[in-house]
Amino acid sequence: MTAQWLIVPILLPLLMAPLLLLCERWHPRWQAPLALLSTLAVAIVAAGLVRMADTGTVGVYLLGNWQPPFGIVLVLDRLSALLLLLTAVVALASQIAAAPLAARGPHFHAFFQVQLAGLNGAFLTGDLFNLFVFFEVLLIASYALLLHDAKGRALRAGLHYVVINLVGSALFLIAASLFYGVVGTLNFADLAARLPQLAPQDAGLAQAAALLLLVVFGIKAALLPLGFWLPGTYGAAPGPVAALFAIMTKVGLYGIIRTSTLLFGAGTTALTGWGADAVFALGVVTMGFGAISALSSQRMGKLIGSLVLVSSGTLIAASTLGEPALAGALYYMVHSTLAIALLFLLAHSIGLQRGATADRFGDGPAVTQPVLLGLLFVFAAAAVAGLPPLGGFIGKALMLSATINTSVMAWFWGAVIGSGVLGIMVLARAGSRVFWNVNGAATVAPPMAPSALGGIAVLVLASLLWTALAAAAARYTADTALQLVQPHLYVDAVMRTAPVPAPAKEH
Amino acid sequence: MTAWFVASAIGVLTACGVWLCLRARSFDVVLGLTLLTYAVNVFIFAMGRLAFNMPPIVRPGVPATLAHYADPLPQALVLTAIVISFAMTALVLTLAMKAYHVNGSDACDPPPTDKGAGTGAAPP
Amino acid sequence: MMLFALVLLPFAAALGCAMLPNSARNTVAWIAGLTTLAGCALLGMTGPLIFGGEILRAAVSWYPQVAFGFRMDGLAWTFAGIIYAIGALVVLYARYYLAAADPPARFFAFLLAFMGAMLGIVLADNLILLVVFWEATSLTSFLLIGYWNHRADARQGARMALAVTGAGGLCLLGGVIVLGHIVGSFSLDIVLAAGPRIRADPLYPVALVLTLLGAFAKSAQFPFHFWLPHAMAAPTPVSAYLHSATMVKAGVFLLARLYPALGDTDLWFFIVTGTGLITLTLGAGFAIFQQDLKGLLAYSTISHLGLITLLFGLDSPLAVVAGIFHILNHAAFKASLFMSVGIIDHETGSRDMRQLNGLWHFMPFTATLAMVAAGAMAGVPLLNGFLSKEMFFAETLQLTTHPVLEVMVPVVAAIAATLAVAYSVRFIHDVFFNGEPVGLTRTPHEPPRWLRIPVEVLVVVCLAVGIVPAVTIGPVLDVAARSVLGSEMPVYSLALWHGFNLPLLMSLLAMAGGVLLYFGLQKAVNLHTIVRMPMNGKVMFDRALEVLVRNGRRIVAWSPGASLPGGLAWIVVTAVAAMAWPLLRLGFGVPGVAVEPLGEIPVIIGALIWLFGVGAAIAATLCYRQRFLALLLIGATGLAVSLGFVLLSAPDLALTQLLVEIATIALIMVVLHFLPQTSPPEPGPWRKWRDAIVAVAAGVGITLVAHAVMTRPVASIAPFYLDRALPEGGGTNAVNVIIVDFRGFDTLGEIVVLGMAGLLVFALLWNFRIPPAAQPAEPGGPWNPLLVRSVTRLLLPLAAMVAIFLYLRGHNLPGGGFVAGLTLACALVALRIAGGGTAILDPRQLTYQTWVACGLLAAGLTGVGSMLLGYPFLTTSFLHPVLPVVGEVPIASAMFFDLGVFMTVVGAALLTTISPGLLPDGHIGEPAA
Repeated sequence: MTAQWLIVPILLPLLMAPLLLLCERWHPRWQAPLALLSTLAVAIVAAGLVRMADTGTVGVYLLGNWQPPFGIVLVLDRLSALLLLLTAVVALASQIAAAPLAARGPHFHAFFQVQLAGLNGAFLTGDLFNLFVFFEVLLIASYALLLHDAKGRALRAGLHYVVINLVGSALFLIAASLFYGVVGTLNFADLAARLPQLAPQDAGLAQAAALLLLVVFGIKAALLPLGFWLPGTYGAAPGPVAALFAIMTKVGLYGIIRTSTLLFGAGTTALTGWGADAVFALGVVTMGFGAISALSSQRMGKLIGSLVLVSSGTLIAASTLGEPALAGALYYMVHSTLAIALLFLLAHSIGLQRGATADRFGDGPAVTQPVLLGLLFVFAAAAVAGLPPLGGFIGKALMLSATINTSVMAWFWGAVIGSGVLGIMVLARAGSRVFWNVNGAATVAPPMAPSALGGIAVLVLASLLWTALAAAAARYTADTALQLVQPHLYVDAVMRTAPVPAPAKEH
Repeated sequence: MTAWFVASAIGVLTACGVWLCLRARSFDVVLGLTLLTYAVNVFIFAMGRLAFNMPPIVRPGVPATLAHYADPLPQALVLTAIVISFAMTALVLTLAMKAYHVNGSDACDPPPTDKGAGTGAAPP
Repeated sequence: MMLFALVLLPFAAALGCAMLPNSARNTVAWIAGLTTLAGCALLGMTGPLIFGGEILRAAVSWYPQVAFGFRMDGLAWTFAGIIYAIGALVVLYARYYLAAADPPARFFAFLLAFMGAMLGIVLADNLILLVVFWEATSLTSFLLIGYWNHRADARQGARMALAVTGAGGLCLLGGVIVLGHIVGSFSLDIVLAAGPRIRADPLYPVALVLTLLGAFAKSAQFPFHFWLPHAMAAPTPVSAYLHSATMVKAGVFLLARLYPALGDTDLWFFIVTGTGLITLTLGAGFAIFQQDLKGLLAYSTISHLGLITLLFGLDSPLAVVAGIFHILNHAAFKASLFMSVGIIDHETGSRDMRQLNGLWHFMPFTATLAMVAAGAMAGVPLLNGFLSKEMFFAETLQLTTHPVLEVMVPVVAAIAATLAVAYSVRFIHDVFFNGEPVGLTRTPHEPPRWLRIPVEVLVVVCLAVGIVPAVTIGPVLDVAARSVLGSEMPVYSLALWHGFNLPLLMSLLAMAGGVLLYFGLQKAVNLHTIVRMPMNGKVMFDRALEVLVRNGRRIVAWSPGASLPGGLAWIVVTAVAAMAWPLLRLGFGVPGVAVEPLGEIPVIIGALIWLFGVGAAIAATLCYRQRFLALLLIGATGLAVSLGFVLLSAPDLALTQLLVEIATIALIMVVLHFLPQTSPPEPGPWRKWRDAIVAVAAGVGITLVAHAVMTRPVASIAPFYLDRALPEGGGTNAVNVIIVDFRGFDTLGEIVVLGMAGLLVFALLWNFRIPPAAQPAEPGGPWNPLLVRSVTRLLLPLAAMVAIFLYLRGHNLPGGGFVAGLTLACALVALRIAGGGTAILDPRQLTYQTWVACGLLAAGLTGVGSMLLGYPFLTTSFLHPVLPVVGEVPIASAMFFDLGVFMTVVGAALLTTISPGLLPDGHIGEPAA
């Protein structure tokens, strides 16, 4: 019954949320520790699931004990496991750092747990409509976190974010039901099994549904022209929340990778014949736009938001270039997520120490802890810009070496190196404007709270680990990519799973 | 023929919804989203094909096929969708109202002044 | 192991320094000094092995193909020697150079970190590792140049240096990856051995160009030279160390290192020789016209680096020897020159040659040292510069590849040499003679003893090498060159005197010409009057960046980044395009058999409902500015939709839709109460029409798709549910069984969303007070029809009954927890809207939160129950008792689940609809401070 573990990353936070609500009414002091405990537990379970997935077997969990494809299934493969763990780590850091924020309004911890449950559900579910439901779960929670204690600009950014995602949800519903209407099922594995034998006259509609799904994920992953909203929104979010949102774009990326390899991969590379070239081109455009937008942004928050675009574009572009590139992209994804989350947390702490100037560029007062914040910033900047020896560098190296001699080598290399150069320049500029270009004495702002330090420490540690264990990590992502380009592994695992012998039902 | 009725209804609702969503004021956007929701719900429902007087409530002796019952699955999906969209509408509305009172305007976009530099528009 | 010590020692020391407070001046200096001395000692110990021709190796595995390891051969040993030896001198110098205000801990920490990175470059045993340390030097040099961060020029110089060298590093990474791809390994030994294979590979040009870009950027070769002069904003010890002796040599080191792998092709020859030639002359030319002493030295460095590059480009073994030789010599005399300039700066407070004159009288000793070093720079006999320059000339004359170049290269070399002499002469004459100092703040004097010692040491080296090269530098040069050239080691003689030959003549010509040129220039155009030179790289760099930023702003401003309608329009258009593309390519595909709707069709009713709904929707769109009216019309559309569901045999949907409809419209009414009642007119017609086009495209598209799907057959999984609903789901209402059982997990997520939405609405209004001005005139305004008020009183108890009824029968007939919950909620909401029930309906005591929480827990724990029995989450089990009135009721575990749904719905619906309604009578949450 090891499969029972698959439900835990969803169920634990999902039950913890209402529990925390009750705590909030009767024992407010227990909230924070309980919530932290739950996240920690999820992280540990996620680590266990990674080990489980790394055996190469695809874990399947039949909710309600119904035979697939009729019930909803949870599926755990290397990709899901990796994302579960990444989510848990980022969430842990963000939650620790968010301690002061949480106190500034009702229900924060409950929302946070629901957010966690939603993310985990999205990564685990093997059912198209259930994926929609979990998208809604993680979205409603993300609205709540984004709007927690929101002021003017943040409110407006929140409105944009909500409306954009509501339209995205509408499109998702259309795509999902269209799949049902044409193919007659909602289970990923079943879809993957049925799509190849689809009657030719249905091919057009099926592809339409597929590409619409791609658009939906594109909105989440901030692929241009669907992602213009991102820098503004992330820039306006409170630091710890923005850090957690670093994982949000990965949900879209996950969707793209999952569907493109499982539903339309048919053993070949991702998205073959499903507009891979178009997606690649858009990815490159996204990188370029992100870099430019970063160059021209006036606030640290917006700058990092733009860098999210760059990272997202890189990942999407690379994920369309076949298995080895996908492997590199997955390695890069983990580190760039950690690094961006770290940068968001740092920007938050820096902003707190610059008084009214906050995270705006241009000369402001000196921060109260220039040495500590400065060194951390150099670390984070190097991590984001892909400077050695950190994981970002390894990831870029992996992606570049995987794309040698491909038809698009020139484009991809140009984009990666170009955006890298711009990234270095932008971050150097930002750093020197914040730490060096100071006028007036340091503010009297208090030094970093232990919570902020704790959150940052988690991410720094994770990033160092991911770098130090590069060999094992890259091996894992390589296996992940290999597993992804063999969709039959997934399909067989799901379709061959039988329900637990039914309990005696007296009539 | 009947299919055209339903399909065209979906189309009109979608068009109206989209157009309203592209308005500049938050309330109009909410109205647009409501229409869009109707359209999407009907669309999901339609994906189960159409049937008259054949609700998916199992009657003894009637073979359990789609020849004798409407497709229950899309109906279940629509139920879920309806509930979620209700929740979201409530949220957007409240958000729109708060934004209106905090920012002093119910325009979705910031006035051109605090674009770019993005000085945190302090509540009036 | 010793190799690890060599590289990691400085890093450790850097960490140590970083820990120490800035007050510990001497401690940090001692740490740094001892580190360098220890390094020298280690090198000394390895000396015998190296000179024995061995190659030391040490590695620990870090990443497949990238063993984290080091490798020391002659070349590496020599460079490590430079790094540590000059490092030691620089540390000593810096200790006395830094002002009291400068934080020493930071300085030495960065310096040591750089030292470690630099050693990493020369000792790395694989190319990836080399790139790693390469970028590390860029980063540390950035920090060191920006050390005096209060100065704008320092900040800019640092940024520029990082941008150029960092970018070069990325190119180098690319080149290295291509190399690794060709060879199949990044290990230096393997790559160096695979020269022929690399040169034969079609990717060779890519690898070569990318690698050279990296090297040239680092070694300030044209056109990347411009960052170096601006790096002079760094403290002088940094300039002496990074920007003359070590870091800028990394590029030429790379040329030497990879010469066996990449060299010896036409492409190499043309690119490297060409770049070297241009840089050599340009650098020397610009140097003459500098006013800042460090500027002069910077351009001279550029020129000398060009010379070295040129030598490696010449592709002859002897040229390689000469190149390495000149690297050593240049390190010695240029470092000493920088230090002397530092002393002058330190003692006079100026580096401007227009102010500095006749310093001979004030600091004769320093002057002598500087003059000797300058002589070496100019290539005066008896000094080390002379020897390598001789070899250089000889090599340019040996050139036999291309007839034109055979003439050109030597001539240009001679001209460059002349220019070099000229700026050296200017350095000497302008600073130490040529009248009296102009407007100095203080009267110069000799520096403190310790500040001068490093210079003295280096100058002695220059002399020793210059006079007796064979004994001093000979063996080192030999072992270094041998490790590059291996078997094809040429025979050469290191001696002062090779008899009268062409190179000697060139030297003498250059010498004479240079002196004449300088004094000629001083006569013709007083050099002091020249303010700025043509073609300033920095200006171009800044302009390029400026253009980039400006256009970037434009692009970002043009993009709908900040606009919601803009972003939405893009999304809709993309979605339409994405669906249209395959459908246009493959068509909708006409199915063999068209599916007709089941059952006999009441067309008339259908048409009426259609007209009702569609008409209302269009009307609402047309009069959307009258918000209340539009709202009512949209309500009508919703009604039509639920009627449609009734018609299309979906009773559950109809019921739910209707109730949700009521709740939604009620909610919107409440909120509209606090919003403007009308929308402002459209700014202009064109946007209306643009949106209309988008909207119609979307509408037409979805119409076609929907119709195409409805009229084709599909083998769906649906029959399963109809089949199992009663026997295994325990209910006849297939829809409800799906909701609570087959797909109960969806429902769980759904109620979570609903519950959270309720909480979020509450949280949004927490501590939020509507400005009294904005509050409506009379509470319960026009939106409060009399009808509702009167009806609701009766409605409430009735609704409760209905709710229970619906809940219980849900599993078999239309109904269920959700509908039941909504019924109750609607009644309560209606009551609230009617202005009653404020007492019982106050979310301020988190009552509804509790409802939501308990509901979610009930639903969730029901599912967990089955897990305890060893079945998956949400597995149902049930029995069928018969109750009066309601009839047979399946008490399935699903019922408890449904109970959870019921509670959550009630709680959430009330939270969402009533929280806003409370606003007029005050705010939610704690009293605002």
